[in-house]
Amino acid sequence: MTNQKTSLYEEHVLLNAKMAPFAGFDMPLQYSSVKEEVQAVRTHSGVFDVSHMGEFLVEGADAVNFVDFIITNDFKNAENLKAVYSPLCRDNGTVIDDLIAYKLAEDRVLICVNASNIKKDWDWISSKISNFKCTIKNQSDDYSLLAVQGPECNKILQEIGVLKAIDFPYYSILETNFEGEKLIIARTGYTGEDGFEIFSSHSFAKSFWKKLLSLGVKPCGLAARDVLRLEVCYPLYGHELNDEVTPLDAGLAWTVKLSKEAFIGKSALIDYKPRFQLVKLSLERGIPREGYDVLDSNHNLIGKITSGTMSVVTGKGIAMALIEKDKNPKDKKYIINIRSTNYEANFHTKSFITGGHK
Amino acid sequence: MAHNIPTDLKYTKDHEWTKVEGDTVVIGITDFAQSALGDIVFVELPEIGKTLNSHQAFGVVESIKSVSDLYSPVSGTVVEVNSGLQNTPELCNAEPYSGAWMIKVKLSNTQEVNSLLSASDYQNFLSTL
Repeated sequence: MTNQKTSLYEEHVLLNAKMAPFAGFDMPLQYSSVKEEVQAVRTHSGVFDVSHMGEFLVEGADAVNFVDFIITNDFKNAENLKAVYSPLCRDNGTVIDDLIAYKLAEDRVLICVNASNIKKDWDWISSKISNFKCTIKNQSDDYSLLAVQGPECNKILQEIGVLKAIDFPYYSILETNFEGEKLIIARTGYTGEDGFEIFSSHSFAKSFWKKLLSLGVKPCGLAARDVLRLEVCYPLYGHELNDEVTPLDAGLAWTVKLSKEAFIGKSALIDYKPRFQLVKLSLERGIPREGYDVLDSNHNLIGKITSGTMSVVTGKGIAMALIEKDKNPKDKKYIINIRSTNYEANFHTKSFITGGHK
Repeated sequence: MAHNIPTDLKYTKDHEWTKVEGDTVVIGITDFAQSALGDIVFVELPEIGKTLNSHQAFGVVESIKSVSDLYSPVSGTVVEVNSGLQNTPELCNAEPYSGAWMIKVKLSNTQEVNSLLSASDYQNFLSTL
């Protein structure tokens, strides 16, 4: 089966990007150097083609109520033009996906989901809508999505003229017209830095991509994106989150609003005793990788690394790991086994670095 | 993309180079290897005194995204290790044939190097990839 291509595929090839299949798409893994791409986003600006991600549009009088019902976080009380991050759970509380819901209006909600889960999410969400006065459209193929991330992005987008509003807080959204094009711009991202995600037509994305590059915004691939999200400890579906765990296993209790009147998974999650604890670990030497064993100080196997990499900012190996709750050591001494050698890990209560977003 | 393949070295299909110095060889990874791996951020090498068989894994080189085994082109005993690479793994990208040499091995069979690829053999091999 041939992979899908985003509207920017030719641009990636022109830039000599290292391409790799991801979630059924041919996606750019890196353009120049992963280190340089990460540093660009942390200190200046970078742009990611994330057009592979899925977009569903919910419209109608019950749009907000419906989205509030299918996700675990509180959407009903979110202000207009706000973005809300949330898991999407089954009745038994396990995670189908994590998503961002954008409240465009009281009767219009845009949901952005992981590319690898588009079909699974669509089948689930569209099967739950019949009792609500709203409709849902899968617009995943209609939108290109560019994530423009880094401390200089706000200035650059204002220079281009695409952003005018001064008061445009983090995790909010606006719909705007620019050069005859309808854009949805969200101040969200997956890097921990200030940044914007721009939903547009395919043709606009192509010209806008070139414009951004001409202004010194660095093209960045999925490899840099993974380092960036891991440095600030954002979970990734298929790693920290999967079909077998609930949000309460993966450090996402803050996204489960049990005080909400009703939502899918509520009755299961109210009584749920977490099986896992998500921990943040780093190494002075060596790089923890997904699947490596995590041991306690008596060398008992207590869990597995779910994501690991070399942090560009700290220069250390960093990881998140799911630890079996009843084996989680009180002394917080963790050991990571790498190729049959045990390495003592540092335990972190906060993310490895603090992003610059406001 | 054209890769640097010095003609005075011998090569393997695992993208290691060897430089023969009498009964000892110096071993490292090729320009092609470092370019394919991208930013190299970690190198793990054996202890001095370790005996290796040809094709045996002797260490690991890691980029941000990947972990790759290093395979010994020859059989012998590790007599020297470039321990500086621990703190400067990026040398593997910058100077794959000089500063980023990895180990020196005293050959147990000096004939073994004859079966390694010449620079033009390796060049031909790369063109098939």
